[in-house]
Amino acid sequence: MEESFSPQDSLRLIQSMIVKTRSSISEDRFYFLLWGWVSFAAIVTQFILKAIIGYPRHYLVWLVVIPAVIVTIIHSSRRGGNRSVSTYIGSSMASLWTGIGISFFILSLIVSRLPNGWLDAWPFFILFYGLGTYISGRILQFRPLVIGGMINWALAIASIYVAYDYQLLLAAAAILTSYIIPGHLLKRAAN
Amino acid sequence: MFKDLDPILHSQLRLAVMSLLIGVKEAEFTFIREKTSATAGNLSVQVQKLKDAGYIDVTKQFKDNYPQTLCRITPKGVDAFEAYVKVLQEYIRK
Repeated sequence: MEESFSPQDSLRLIQSMIVKTRSSISEDRFYFLLWGWVSFAAIVTQFILKAIIGYPRHYLVWLVVIPAVIVTIIHSSRRGGNRSVSTYIGSSMASLWTGIGISFFILSLIVSRLPNGWLDAWPFFILFYGLGTYISGRILQFRPLVIGGMINWALAIASIYVAYDYQLLLAAAAILTSYIIPGHLLKRAAN
Repeated sequence: MFKDLDPILHSQLRLAVMSLLIGVKEAEFTFIREKTSATAGNLSVQVQKLKDAGYIDVTKQFKDNYPQTLCRITPKGVDAFEAYVKVLQEYIRK
């Protein structure tokens, strides 16, 4: 076997093995779509409750985050348990979004102590969506996420200049462009 | 014939193992066996040779009561792999 193993054979072998370890970008799609649709539904419901119906405890819709966190933890621990290979892309994505998740939690604590409280929160949240989405797009080399991240930054700036109710709509647009649309495009890219 | 090629790497299965490990952080023995379609016995022998050369690290541990063997490439292994590819490219250019 070794005798007939030419340099061309070597290169072909190296190439075929490297292709086998290329991680599928669709692995992360589940999270983008889960969090995209959960947040989008929560924001739109909050907008309807606050601006249209006038229900004072409109922010209670965000309790929906708790089951979403549980689903994420169960799904990722199952996936981690079955995984027989760990890639740099996979661990970078996990670290990035764990970091963003922790930042969201801390940001919630900070915002709750600010004089205007939640009325000033959205520009910061949209800013972090943008950061996570932009870096994800660069790591996965998936352009719709990079563009989504940039759109979020623009929306973060825009949200400074509008009233809270309209910030909700800008946040819904941010979720749509950074999680939902790229999440569905990832499916197409995977196929 | 190919004198300058590192004899440790210039073997089909060992080169396949190194090519798999170069792109990942670490991989289980079972993953490597599946991707290379090698027998467990032959793969163990070749993995041991790569380990003896200092090209890969092998850690054995238990996960959910099952033994698990994890392999990862070492910096020395990365250097050797890059040098090997460079020599290959020179052969092909000739």
